Amino acid sequence: MIDFQLIADSIPKMLVGIGLTLELMLVSAVLGTILAVILLLMRISGRRYLSWPALTYIYIFRGTPILVQIFIIYYGLPQLDFVRESIFWPILREPYGCAVLALALNNGAYMSEIFRGGVLGVDKGLGEAASALGLSIRQRFMYITTPIAVRLAIPAYSNDIVSLMKSTALASTITLLDMMGIARTIVAETFAPYEVFISLAVIYIIMTFFIQKGFGYFERYMSRYLKRDA
Amino acid sequence: MADLVGWWDDFFWGSIVVVQIFAVSLVMMVLFGLMGAAAKLSNSRIAQSIASAYTVIFRGTPEILVLLLIYFGSAIALTSVAKIFDPSITFLDIPPFWAGSFAIALVVGSYATETFRGAFQGVNPGLIEASRALGISQFNTFIYIQIPEMWRLALPAFGNHMLSLIKDTALISIIGLNETLFVAEQAIGTTGKPFTMYVVVGCIYLSFSTIITLTVMLLERKANQHLAGAR
Repeated sequence: MIDFQLIADSIPKMLVGIGLTLELMLVSAVLGTILAVILLLMRISGRRYLSWPALTYIYIFRGTPILVQIFIIYYGLPQLDFVRESIFWPILREPYGCAVLALALNNGAYMSEIFRGGVLGVDKGLGEAASALGLSIRQRFMYITTPIAVRLAIPAYSNDIVSLMKSTALASTITLLDMMGIARTIVAETFAPYEVFISLAVIYIIMTFFIQKGFGYFERYMSRYLKRDA
Repeated sequence: MADLVGWWDDFFWGSIVVVQIFAVSLVMMVLFGLMGAAAKLSNSRIAQSIASAYTVIFRGTPEILVLLLIYFGSAIALTSVAKIFDPSITFLDIPPFWAGSFAIALVVGSYATETFRGAFQGVNPGLIEASRALGISQFNTFIYIQIPEMWRLALPAFGNHMLSLIKDTALISIIGLNETLFVAEQAIGTTGKPFTMYVVVGCIYLSFSTIITLTVMLLERKANQHLAGAR
C-alpha cells in the first residue's frame, strides 16, 4: 500500500527546498521584527499622529488572511502603474521579493502586539525606581524595560516564529519552490499525497520542535537572574 | 468601482460560503478542542498521549499542507473504493466544502485543545468544593459552575481561534471552493484587475474579523458581569 521507495526518493527532493523555506523565514523574521519595534514605538509614543497609523496598520494586517495579502502584493500591485515605475519594481516583480514582503508585513503586525504585551508586563515599580536613581527616559527604556520585556515576550514570540515558518508554505501559491512547492509538484506527478505530504509534515514538525527548543534555551538564559539557588 | 459592476452578487454569494464554512468549522473546532482537552485532563495514559500527538502534529504543520493532504488523500481513498464497484470512475472526491472545513477545524482545534485545557485547570478548585459542599451533584457542578467559569477564562483566546478560522477559510479556495478569493480569481480572468478584486476580498475579510472581534468583546463583558461589583 505505502510506497516506501517514493518516500525515500521524495524526501531528498523536498529537502532541496529547506534552504528557501529557512531563508524566507529568517529574512521575513528579521524585517518583521524591525517593523514591529517601529510600530511598537509609534504605539506607545503617546502621540495621536503616530499611534493611530500604527493601530490602523495592525488592524488591517491582523484582520485579513495572509494568503490575500500575498495575492494583493504579487498579483495585485502590478496593476498599478506607479508601482511598475517605482524603484521597488525589481523586488515586487519577483515572487521571492513579494513573499518576503508579505510575510514581513504580516508578521510585523503580530509581533508588535507581542512586544507591546511584554512592555506592558514590566513592573511599574522598576521604572519608578530607575527614574528615582536618575536614569533618563531613554536609558530607562534601553536598560530596564527592554531586557525584561524581551524575556516576557519570548514564549509568544517563539509561537509567532513557528506560525511564520508555517506561513512560508503559502509561498508555494505564488510559484516559489520551497519545500511545500516541491511537494506539490511531486504529488502532481505521482498522485501519491499520503507518502509525500506526510513525510513533509514530519519535516515541518521537526523544524517546529527545534525552534521551540531553541527559544526555550533562550528564555532560560534571559531568566537566569530569577534563579535563587545559583 | 466600475470594474466591480456585475461582480457584487458573486462576491456576496462567496461571502455566504465563507460564513457557512465558518459556522461548520466552528462547531467542529469546539468539538475537537473539547475532546482534546477532555483527553488531556483524563487519567488514561492512552488518551493523554493521543491528545498530545494531536496537538504536536497539527500545531507544527502548515494549514495548507493539512488541507491538501486531507483533500487529495480522501479523494484517492474514495476513488479506489469506488473503482471496486464501478471501474469507469476516474476521480471522486469529498466536496471541498467538507474537506476544507474539516481540515481547518482540525488545525485550529489543536490550539483550542490547549486553551480549553488551560481554562478548565484555571477554574478555582474552591468553587467546585463549595458547590459540592452545598449538595449540588457532580454533574450539575460541571454544568453550572465549571463550564461558565471555564468559558469566561477561555474567551479571549477563543476569540483569536475564531479569527484564525475565518482567515483560514481563504485557503480553501486552493482546492476549488467557490468562496470570495475564488470569485476574485474568476473576476480577474474577465476584467484583468487583480488589485481591485483582491482588495475587495481583503475588505470582506476585514469586516468579518471586525464583527468577530466586537462579538467577543460583548461576550466577554457578559461573562465578566458578576465581577463588575467586586472591583
